[in-house]
Amino acid sequence: MSPLAELLVAELSERPRHFGELVEAHMQMPWREFLLAWGEVRAADVLGRDDEGRYLVRTAAATR
Amino acid sequence: MSAGFRDCLRQLEDAGELLRLKKAVDPRHLSALMAQAPQATFFEQIAGYPDWRAAGALLSTRRRLAVAMGCPEGAIATRFEEGIRRPIDARLVDRAPCQDVVLTGDDVDLTRLPLPMMHVKDGGPYLSGTLVVSRDPEYGRNVGSYRMMYRTPRETGIDLVSSSDMRVYYQRALDQGRPLPIAVAVGVHPFELLAASYKAPIAVDEFAIAGGLHGAPVDLVKCKTVDLEVPASAELVLEGELLPIGWTADEGPFGEFSHITGEVKWNPIFRVRAITHRRDPIFYVLQMPWENDWLAAPVIEAAGLQALRVASVEPVAIRAPVGGCCYWTLVASIKKRPGEGKNALLAMLSVAEVKLAIVTDDDIDIGNPDELDWAMTFRVQADQDVLVVPGARGKHIDPSVRAGTLGRGGLPTTAKLGIDATIPEGVPRSHYERLRYFAKDGVRLEDYQ
Repeated sequence: MSPLAELLVAELSERPRHFGELVEAHMQMPWREFLLAWGEVRAADVLGRDDEGRYLVRTAAATR
Repeated sequence: MSAGFRDCLRQLEDAGELLRLKKAVDPRHLSALMAQAPQATFFEQIAGYPDWRAAGALLSTRRRLAVAMGCPEGAIATRFEEGIRRPIDARLVDRAPCQDVVLTGDDVDLTRLPLPMMHVKDGGPYLSGTLVVSRDPEYGRNVGSYRMMYRTPRETGIDLVSSSDMRVYYQRALDQGRPLPIAVAVGVHPFELLAASYKAPIAVDEFAIAGGLHGAPVDLVKCKTVDLEVPASAELVLEGELLPIGWTADEGPFGEFSHITGEVKWNPIFRVRAITHRRDPIFYVLQMPWENDWLAAPVIEAAGLQALRVASVEPVAIRAPVGGCCYWTLVASIKKRPGEGKNALLAMLSVAEVKLAIVTDDDIDIGNPDELDWAMTFRVQADQDVLVVPGARGKHIDPSVRAGTLGRGGLPTTAKLGIDATIPEGVPRSHYERLRYFAKDGVRLEDYQ
């Protein structure tokens, strides 16, 4: 995983966040780089969703 | 050759309805800027995407839709009706601008596109203005419009929850354990999008309906990697397949056409096999909810006109107002004979989508909310002129149907409301004669300033 993808996973492990919150936290990154990193996180199959539509890292996935 | 996306941009610009932004804009800011613009918006430079330009909010008002349809604002329903009455078959061409650039294999990468960030709670950036083509061995070609959420450089989610012909096609493919090939055209003329949003019988080719709206055949070209056809003049085409995984992947939330954020849905995944586009492509950002709403307006209004005529009621004007998202509410004025206020309501409420119907006489300008309020105040007795139909089909995205209590797969019902704001039987029309100012035409204000 790229450093940015790892950072996104770490942020989601901390607490669930809307996609927009992640985007807002990384506005200094070029959009394409952000989307490539997000694609890595998606492909890693570690994400879940809460009732509000926020992304979270599934506990089992986080402890793998 | 039928008109394309760029012809629509020119029409809007000629009508003073297109704003050009010259400075480079980050894709994360496209939607916010469109929301502030008083016109449709053309972005001449996209930061980080030097090959691309973008445009959006093309149909965000009734006026812009009317300009795109080439008709007066009050005539979008009849213009649409004329088009669907005279379908013209599409024709196949050998070469197409939408295939100037062909990307396959390792070159397929959705992050090369200026995917816009739209709403605060969206589950990701979305492709919103899509024309999705699929084919079923028995039913033939289908064209619809479905939102697509970026997942990875080669995958998107697709909202296939609501009933649609393509949902049937996908289910049939899924039952056989095979993927459903699809092609997604972005940046097409609004007539193609209108035809796609029209709920035509399953065997009807939406491209023929679009041809009827254009008054000329839509030029189609064969896709490069799937056995499907797309409009030759499209700005961008994604080719690939819906994976046979059923409704298992999270998709959403998204800012819905009801002006509310929806819920996370479980949907299939679209895997992209090829990307083709013009040499100097323009990315179309369909502005939610407005463009989605206005694309529904001619369809709902035309359905209302047809229902009224079947009920032998003579419509004068019809509107699907934006307050009802151009979808749930239908207002009509009619030339009324005794009893026809109620007949009109029954007809209008028979349109599946309509939850609130209001009918009034032909002296009321139904485009003027104050006049409509006046009619509802003085022509309605609530115990005689209000009709409630409980238990009709509803939609999940209407919070008042309490879909959350139904469990997964549950279908909501809704109560429909009709208001007969026509002059009551037995009350002379003269009782509604409006005030007129004495000598109004005999003096001029400027003569006294």
